[in-house]
Amino acid sequence: MTNQPNKFYFFVSVACFTGYLWLWVNFFNQQLGAFTQVEACFIKKTTSIPCPSCGSTRSLISLIQGDFSQALYFNPIGFVIAIIMIVAPIWLITDLIVRKKSFYIFFKKMERILQKKIVFIPLTIFFILNWIWNITKAL
Amino acid sequence: MDAQKVDMFIMTNNKYFESHQLEPIRKRLLELDESKWTMIQTLQFKDPTTSLIVSLLGGGFGIDRFLIGDTGMGVGKLLTCGGLGIWTIIDWFMIMGATREKNVEKIMTVL
Repeated sequence: MTNQPNKFYFFVSVACFTGYLWLWVNFFNQQLGAFTQVEACFIKKTTSIPCPSCGSTRSLISLIQGDFSQALYFNPIGFVIAIIMIVAPIWLITDLIVRKKSFYIFFKKMERILQKKIVFIPLTIFFILNWIWNITKAL
Repeated sequence: MDAQKVDMFIMTNNKYFESHQLEPIRKRLLELDESKWTMIQTLQFKDPTTSLIVSLLGGGFGIDRFLIGDTGMGVGKLLTCGGLGIWTIIDWFMIMGATREKNVEKIMTVL
């Protein structure tokens, strides 16, 4: 699906749009005082066990409100998502304006780096530990 | 390369490729030098059915995407609870085609 730059850029724009829409819905939901969260996680709904990235929406909302420790408590992955959500649209638009493929090239490079054992084994361990933490927190 | 060999290769491996790509692959194989035959034969392709099973079971974690070598998309799926569950369902239908495309990419590096 991401073999061609055009498809990749289309995909990233859709993902960014959905991400911001999702965040906006949840943010205003919380602002209105409705603490019944909009939940979409399949794994949590079917097994009642939170998935590794459950709580990242709450983490992002905490980040917007400036509460860093709360964001870290909900899910450290929220920080990664926040960085991607800020960088991706800017990079995407810049690439479209200057007509270069630097974002796509960077993505392919990152893919190759992530496939190295030295990189993906520690990341997987971190991810599993985070998941265990998620389950004990009962998010 | 020998037409008989090529046809045998296509027959045994056709499930790994998209149907519309079989003819171009056949043509390229026929033009290929005989010395590359062993290399072509030792190529390991990903089975679309296996990736479908993985997608049904571990799609929410993006394991299907990792399996076929789409690491970037896998990470994206993993970080977003399988794309809020929607991407997971879409991938149940897309993953077989994606696997075949990855296989074509793989054979094209040799051809």
